[in-house]
Amino acid sequence: MTRQEIEQNVTDFLIDDLEIEQDVITPDARLKDDLGIDSLDFVDIVVIVEKRFGFKIKPEEMAGVVTYKDFCDYIERKLAA
Amino acid sequence: MKYALVTGSSRGIGRAVALKLAQDGFPVIVNCLSNIDAAASLVAEIDAAGGKAELLQFDVSDPEAIEAALESWAQAHPEDYVDILVNNAGIRRDNLMIFMQNDEWHSVLDTTLNGFFYLTRRLLKDMLTHRHGRVINISSLSGLKGLPGQVNYSAAKAALIGATRALSQEVAQRKVTVNAVCPGFIESDMTAGLDRDELKKLVPMRRFGRADEVADLVAFLASDSAAYITGQAISINGGLY
Repeated sequence: MTRQEIEQNVTDFLIDDLEIEQDVITPDARLKDDLGIDSLDFVDIVVIVEKRFGFKIKPEEMAGVVTYKDFCDYIERKLAA
Repeated sequence: MKYALVTGSSRGIGRAVALKLAQDGFPVIVNCLSNIDAAASLVAEIDAAGGKAELLQFDVSDPEAIEAALESWAQAHPEDYVDILVNNAGIRRDNLMIFMQNDEWHSVLDTTLNGFFYLTRRLLKDMLTHRHGRVINISSLSGLKGLPGQVNYSAAKAALIGATRALSQEVAQRKVTVNAVCPGFIESDMTAGLDRDELKKLVPMRRFGRADEVADLVAFLASDSAAYITGQAISINGGLY
């Protein structure tokens, strides 16, 4: 999966599943403070990522993930591993 | 398909709840620890009445047993999830606290409180992602007022009410409700050893409740009509407090 496909996938589920407005989704947008993703949304994200990208998020790996770009980087790293 | 899982449903209140939910059209998972014959007979009774039920045996106080049973159930039901969880399994090991043994304390808390924790945690994810769910915890009058000789049981049932109130707030946004039901004296195996004639005098209605009356309340809390009720501990006790 290319970087562009990863970003498109992430953007799609943020809009479709978490009902986040497209115009607030930017590379530097903070998942919690700017996109309003709370800890319950994280439950959804774990399920969606497993379905769309085929791996299970480990909460401890998300410690440094703050922004949309961090999140896409994390997925890219996991897919390359 | 949305399933209802009722723990400890081979007899008593759990059995009545499983029957009622099946009558209301929910496919029901009947759970028991050891009373397989009674549980199998309940499954057969539900099937014969045109309902849908299956037996899933596991110990609610054993997280590994829960995981194994539910993982195997999930593999057999890839499109289904447990939407209604009734945490009913519980045991009594009454004794005055001065004489209470460690195992009498721990076994009661393991089944009632830890069972709630292990199983609810396991099933919540599906309810949250489906944006719908019902968790109904069978507490007790003993958890509200405390009963002598039941320090272990009262503690476990009171803790269940605290957990109900806390969890209800965590998951309310996702349309998952969490409530507790607090039966008073109910005709069942649990109260078989008690002096019913004496105890009836304490109840303003002068009778024990029936398991099917508790089941009706649970079924209401499980229904869409109760969508705005959460974090409550609802008594069903004939007026006894």
